[in-house]
Amino acid sequence: MSLNKKQMIKLFTNLVRTSHYDKMMYRRMMQGKLIGFYHPAEGAVAPGVGACTFLKKDDNLNPHHRGHGIIHMVSKGIDVSTFLAEHTGKETGCCKGRSAFHFHYPDDKVYQQSGFIGHNFAPTVGWGYAAKRRGKSQVVMNCSGDGSYGEGRAHESMLMCQNWQLPVIFFCENNGMAIFSSSEEMHPTEDISSLAQGYGMPAVIVDGQDVFAVAEVAMAAIDRARKGKGPSFVECKTMRFNEHDIGTPDLKGWEDRSEEEHADMRKREPVRLATERVLADAILTQTKIDGIHEASLKEIEGVEEFADNSEICLPSEEELLADVFVD
Amino acid sequence: MRTITLIDAIREAYQEEMRRDEDVFMVGQDIRGAIFPHTKGLVEEFGSDRIVDTPIAESGMYGVALGAAQEGMRPIVDFMFGGFSYVTFSECTVTTGQYHFLHGSPRSLPIVMTAGVGTGQRLANDHAMSIHGTFAHHPGIKVAMPSTPYDAKGMFKAAIRDNNPVMIPWHMGIMMLKGDVPELGEDYVVPLGVADIKREGSDVTVMANSLQLQHALKVADKLQEEGISCEIIDPRSFVPFDLDTVLKSLEKTNRLVVVDEDWESGSFANTVSANVMEAGFDLLDAPVTRVTLPNMPVPGGYMEDYIVPTPEKIEAAIRKVLA
Ligand SMILES: Cc1ncc(C[n+]2csc(CCOP(=O)(O)OP(=O)(O)O)c2C)c(N)n1
Ligand SMILES: [Mg+2]
Repeated sequence: MSLNKKQMIKLFTNLVRTSHYDKMMYRRMMQGKLIGFYHPAEGAVAPGVGACTFLKKDDNLNPHHRGHGIIHMVSKGIDVSTFLAEHTGKETGCCKGRSAFHFHYPDDKVYQQSGFIGHNFAPTVGWGYAAKRRGKSQVVMNCSGDGSYGEGRAHESMLMCQNWQLPVIFFCENNGMAIFSSSEEMHPTEDISSLAQGYGMPAVIVDGQDVFAVAEVAMAAIDRARKGKGPSFVECKTMRFNEHDIGTPDLKGWEDRSEEEHADMRKREPVRLATERVLADAILTQTKIDGIHEASLKEIEGVEEFADNSEICLPSEEELLADVFVD
Repeated sequence: MRTITLIDAIREAYQEEMRRDEDVFMVGQDIRGAIFPHTKGLVEEFGSDRIVDTPIAESGMYGVALGAAQEGMRPIVDFMFGGFSYVTFSECTVTTGQYHFLHGSPRSLPIVMTAGVGTGQRLANDHAMSIHGTFAHHPGIKVAMPSTPYDAKGMFKAAIRDNNPVMIPWHMGIMMLKGDVPELGEDYVVPLGVADIKREGSDVTVMANSLQLQHALKVADKLQEEGISCEIIDPRSFVPFDLDTVLKSLEKTNRLVVVDEDWESGSFANTVSANVMEAGFDLLDAPVTRVTLPNMPVPGGYMEDYIVPTPEKIEAAIRKVLA
């Protein structure tokens, strides 16, 4: 599938927006203005943007935990100001201020953020089952990291989705690392997507630093699923510029990741690559690009204002206890 | 004596036991790089064969321990966060607990399980689990949790030497707590199944462990100024549980408050309350009172702060049993 100009602009805009969102989260964590922890997505924003920009509201999405889902949700068109409010413990939070980094946007078919790696795979089967039963050409975009494919659940899920030809995309964002563990050491083959072969599921590998390449592949997989042709596997080769989560040392095994590795990675910063591309292809002018950055920063200012101006959520224990079950 | 942190005390136990016995090894995720400092530097001394990092695959990871233990080795499994043990729940509770008994076997499973547990990070339920009560519910597994660096080192050493499976988590809220431990090279263990009176008193007995023990000690200091004398008992082990020490204390105080950082429903606090009622009803001048987590998933954000047991809640419970 080749992208038209309008699609490229949309992807570029989402890439710029989400990279600014990630920087905002990083800054707030450093400033002590975020509850809990933050897993920065710098260097790895293109896969989520490519996977989610052209999803429909009715499509299920499991956002990858890196970037705490913001890259994916913003790209899908979700207003995440209530998630920042959540992450700052405010009354206006999407989970009533009681969940820190978890989110829940059921109307947009984003149900959960699990603190358990790999807990996206089991419900993926159920989302796919429901989608198929209802026959509304809804698809499931199941995004997670290379490390998550270690969990048995990943394999159970692939097995069942393939058996039943469910409209699911296993979208693996392979940054080569899981905390301190390299996928080189933890995974026996070079590509995570080679797992799909065992289930007879089609798979494709794409340069995860190139948002346009990712989007082309993702759109093909989505299209396939929508037409009832079953699940497929997309593996994005991407990177993790920073430590796993802010404050944790940046080790590989038990030694620091090398300066060379960092320098090499930074050569392939996705926003810069995309900027070069849109300029070279005369899709956007520098002035237009500057405008996109400015608009993104302005948007994020609004999101922060919303969270910061909201009240801290402090219900009584009785109120909370009354909310453990629904009527 | 030296002063070290609780987390360093745990590491010393691993080191000393691994030096003593080649069959002791450790399996977990990111333990070589030390995601929590109890494993810091271990890989340099013992190598990647004995400090084993696995993929993110808890069932397989626990399987390493289970199978190796059946083969006669003595694994230590680190679940990182306590809740992650639930990913391999059937293996680490049912299969492990029944192994010796149900086979009528002369063999057992000398597996040590550990994990960081407890509230305090505002991360919400899945990263804030207390697991001691859940594991204590499953027969065949010893369960203990240290409250001081001295106990941590001695109890971890006892757990590693124990021929039974032992779940011994540590509370993240006291990982940097400092305390005295014997000089390096002085071998000691703190036997599992023996409670410890952390403070003597005569008016009321308060049972508390880990972070909650620290809270209880603070409350006892405060109440002392009013002339209320609290006896503070640290159970140290939940299975086996040293009920005698509690009953003996009740002969003096006749009043019991049980503090337990776990959901009230099905908690270890309930077990203690029932045990005391059955074995020590005549000793009681007031109903046993529990301070636990209310029966709701642990919320994150600011709300975590006020659903957890606090010194204020412990103080209120003490005043209630004294009223
Ligand atoms: C069941 C479970 N095991 C372990 C962890 C700890 N953990 C959090 S993130 C992570 C690494 C995830 O790696 P990957 O899926 O590759 O995503 P990345 O962080 O690299 O983006 C681990 C091991 C967890 N949260 N849940
Ligand atoms: Mg990864």
